[in-house]
Amino acid sequence: MVTELHNHPQWGMVVDVDRCTGCNGCVVACQSENNIPINLEEHFNQRRAIQWIRIERYWEGEFPDVKARFIPILCQHCGNAPCEPVCPVYATYHNDEGMNVQVYNRCIGTRFCANGCPYHVRFFNFWEPEWPESLKNQLNPDVTVRSRGIMEKCSFCVQRIQRSTRESERDSVELKDGDRGLNPACVNACPTNALMFGDWNDSESAISQIKEKESYPGGRAYGLLENMGTSPNVIYLKKVDESVGSSNGH
Amino acid sequence: MLPLIVLLVTIKGLLMALTRRQFLTLMGGSAGAAVFFQACGVPEKELFIDSPIEMPEDLVTGLDNWYATTFKEGMSSQGIIVRIMEGRAKKVEGNTDHPLNRGTHSSSAESMLQLLYHPDRIDAPLLRTGQRGSGEYKEISWEEAIDRLSSQFTSLEQSGEQDKAVLVTDPVNGHLGMVVKKFVSATGIRHMTYEVLEHTTLIKAMDEVFGQDNIPDFDIDNASLVLSFGADFLSTWVSPTRYSRGYGEFRQGHEHRGKLIHIDSRFSTTAANADEWVYVNPGTEGVLALSIMKSIVDSGQVSQDVIEALFDGNSSLLDLYKPELIASFVGVSESKIKEIGDLFVKSEHPIALGGGTAGAYTNGLQNLKAIYSLNHLKGNVGHKGGLVFTPNSPIEGLETTNTNSASEFKSLIDNISTGEIKLLLLKDADLYYGLPDSFGFKEALFDIPFIVSFSNMKDDTASIADLILPQNTLFEDWGTDVPLAGPGYQSVAFQQPVVRPFFESRGDNLGTKSFPDVLMTLSQVLNKNLDLSGDTFLDVLKDGARQLFDLKRGTIQASSFQEFWMTLLARGVWCDVNEKSINNSYVGKVETVPEAKFEGDGRFNLVPFASAAFYDGRYAFAPWMQAMPDPISTATWQTWIEINHKIADELNIKEGDVIEVRSSNGGVITALAMPNPATPPNILGIPVGQGHRDGGRYAAGRGSNVLSILGTNFDDKTGALAWASNKVNITPTGEWIRVPKFENSVPDFPRDEHQQIVEISTGNNNHVGH
Repeated sequence: MVTELHNHPQWGMVVDVDRCTGCNGCVVACQSENNIPINLEEHFNQRRAIQWIRIERYWEGEFPDVKARFIPILCQHCGNAPCEPVCPVYATYHNDEGMNVQVYNRCIGTRFCANGCPYHVRFFNFWEPEWPESLKNQLNPDVTVRSRGIMEKCSFCVQRIQRSTRESERDSVELKDGDRGLNPACVNACPTNALMFGDWNDSESAISQIKEKESYPGGRAYGLLENMGTSPNVIYLKKVDESVGSSNGH
Repeated sequence: MLPLIVLLVTIKGLLMALTRRQFLTLMGGSAGAAVFFQACGVPEKELFIDSPIEMPEDLVTGLDNWYATTFKEGMSSQGIIVRIMEGRAKKVEGNTDHPLNRGTHSSSAESMLQLLYHPDRIDAPLLRTGQRGSGEYKEISWEEAIDRLSSQFTSLEQSGEQDKAVLVTDPVNGHLGMVVKKFVSATGIRHMTYEVLEHTTLIKAMDEVFGQDNIPDFDIDNASLVLSFGADFLSTWVSPTRYSRGYGEFRQGHEHRGKLIHIDSRFSTTAANADEWVYVNPGTEGVLALSIMKSIVDSGQVSQDVIEALFDGNSSLLDLYKPELIASFVGVSESKIKEIGDLFVKSEHPIALGGGTAGAYTNGLQNLKAIYSLNHLKGNVGHKGGLVFTPNSPIEGLETTNTNSASEFKSLIDNISTGEIKLLLLKDADLYYGLPDSFGFKEALFDIPFIVSFSNMKDDTASIADLILPQNTLFEDWGTDVPLAGPGYQSVAFQQPVVRPFFESRGDNLGTKSFPDVLMTLSQVLNKNLDLSGDTFLDVLKDGARQLFDLKRGTIQASSFQEFWMTLLARGVWCDVNEKSINNSYVGKVETVPEAKFEGDGRFNLVPFASAAFYDGRYAFAPWMQAMPDPISTATWQTWIEINHKIADELNIKEGDVIEVRSSNGGVITALAMPNPATPPNILGIPVGQGHRDGGRYAAGRGSNVLSILGTNFDDKTGALAWASNKVNITPTGEWIRVPKFENSVPDFPRDEHQQIVEISTGNNNHVGH
């Protein structure tokens, strides 16, 4: 479905859990695009590794009747985000394109936002990020390297949206739904196309179409922890498993 | 600057209180300048005088370019595009034109950026100065390096001992393969192709079951049932990015959701994603396949023509494999065998595929032959939703070199020990790391008079070499690719340098070079005619492109060669979807499957597996890959042991306990226990990939190399290493190390019947079934 983008897009994502294989391709693509500091062994041991998008694995049963379920978790860019009102310096706020935005040079590192986020997708920089000199050549000049003492999180690769918008204006070319330049790095990388990105305001966009198709009672669409009232901007599509009862889950 | 000067005059009174230094400091900071001038009522637009170095990054509007190239990975490849800004590679994405990955890409492709800018890359030819393995080298010029190398060739030639030189490479194809083959032929040296986790049995099975010399494209996208034996095709097997693309469509791309049954003795990523994982006793996969075949044939739904072709009309050999007779032997119930057979025969587009552990026993080839023969029952070769073989390349000589089996490398080591090998040349073949200690290569290595490595980093073998001639990385080099596991029609992908060589500043006589160019230069020095169309590798490549241009068909056609060449480089790949394989009628005979033999009598079957992050160890250099959680264990940066959690309890083993794993040949490694509920009680799963003695700062001395403790069991027919046929014992050492893992890195979600994270649909509301 290719349509012209609306003037005031509301960016959002669909995650099809039935397509996801848990390969972690999205995780590495995100780290490459967004200058995520190298997660060293000690960072994992201290539980301070930074992954803007992560794959969670849930066990069900045990050998021989055992299942592992994978689900990608990223910032849900909530319409009613618990992280926003608690920030004393307005470092995190909701912009007019539906995104939860982190302004790094406002952040003073209170970490209130991380405490408030039920999805655990906000990460604190406990250290100054370090790369060997030669690896710095790979850093993305469109993305700020975050210093010690501030929070960071998934931005829906806002730099890609900005660049695509700028370039489309410069070249007088209309942006279309599904343009790969607009897509976050994780979406383009995903080998199974489990991640889809687009504009909720555009009723013809692929994600709007999926939402409409799957949002009936018993359909596959659901919001992660949505009964906490966060109004997540990311929609998940249920994993399909014929062998389990209808109310199963993790 | 003029408005500023005017302002300076106007606000002279204010400035009087400032020293010159204070003024300049103030001017240096944009925020300070803004405050200063706003106080004077200066329009804000006048203040945009910031130095670019002070601008926030989100205002950088520099131009970027994306260049198409090709990332080869074992038997397959991915078309990629690389983002370049200011001469530096920033990001990898998939090339939507490439027929295998069509826009998606893997984490390993991304990690090539960290190879390009790796801090431990070698930036000039190195000559060993200390003892072998001491790591002491001195830098020499390329001129001297070629001199030294050519003198080795010359002295061997003078004594008529050219065949005592061996060039060992990874599987090479395209024009690189062509140069290698011609170089080997012209100089009279030997060439061997090495893969750590070889696909020898798989390739042989394709030949004997289908009469084909390539690995088919599995049209998972349009399949209704995938029956997979041992092949972790969603993570590491052959072409996981292509198969994953198909898997997404298989699940949700059609009205009918496909069903995946994975048969394996280990709970792999593919097992985790299957609708049904069926545990099978190690080494009995082929027997199980024949039993499934028996139940299908007995159902009477197989045509007589097929039975004629498969069994010469008499399928009585299958009587040995009646489900009721073999159920306990394979560890799968009689009813389950019949159920799978029923599903397979009733499915519209079923695919049976096998590999990985299923092909890594002493009966590996027969296992795979039995598995792949199931496809003949449904006649799904060359059809939508089936197995589609790729025709020969439109350009001659671009096919992938045949991998030599592990037993051939064992013979090579015997040759080394008897002094029959005088010169060993290595390109992307880390024998020191990949060959089990029981082969004796680590000791024999010291008997080779001269070792040359073309590695761009000190891998485990390179760090013992006498001469290291660093080659360019993927992003700095030319090449072409005709993958062994192709798309089902003709394609030739092109690899081009997307950046200048990183060490270009070191000058022509230092830095890195293209491997085929070094071979071509060497052949000129040796006065050998390679009969290639040009003096440089680029000339050879362009000649190949001209041959494609002359075909006047396919996805790229142009009125002039220059236009064709530019379009080819821009798109990265030439394809002709109409050129498909037509030899789909061969049907190999079904044979019985012998019992697998195991080495050792330990309590556990050791199942080494290709790691999602490191594959066979080749990506351990990259910090992104080290930090990428394993899909099943979520472990990073270490070597861990998958063990059943109940068995672990029984043995008083908990997560992080350092466990000694001992094989019957005396090999010992230690690794960290990671009990899980899915590992079968008799299985010990250990990832391949860590335990390098070198390989850069992120890989060296980290974890253990499970390959090192394997025995010398080979597949009876092909000589491939039977790497899944070892039985081992374990002993806790009493030490404990925290496992660096992603699991529990973030707190648990609040979960109850109203708060679920992975919600499940039974599929009743989604068109499921066949």
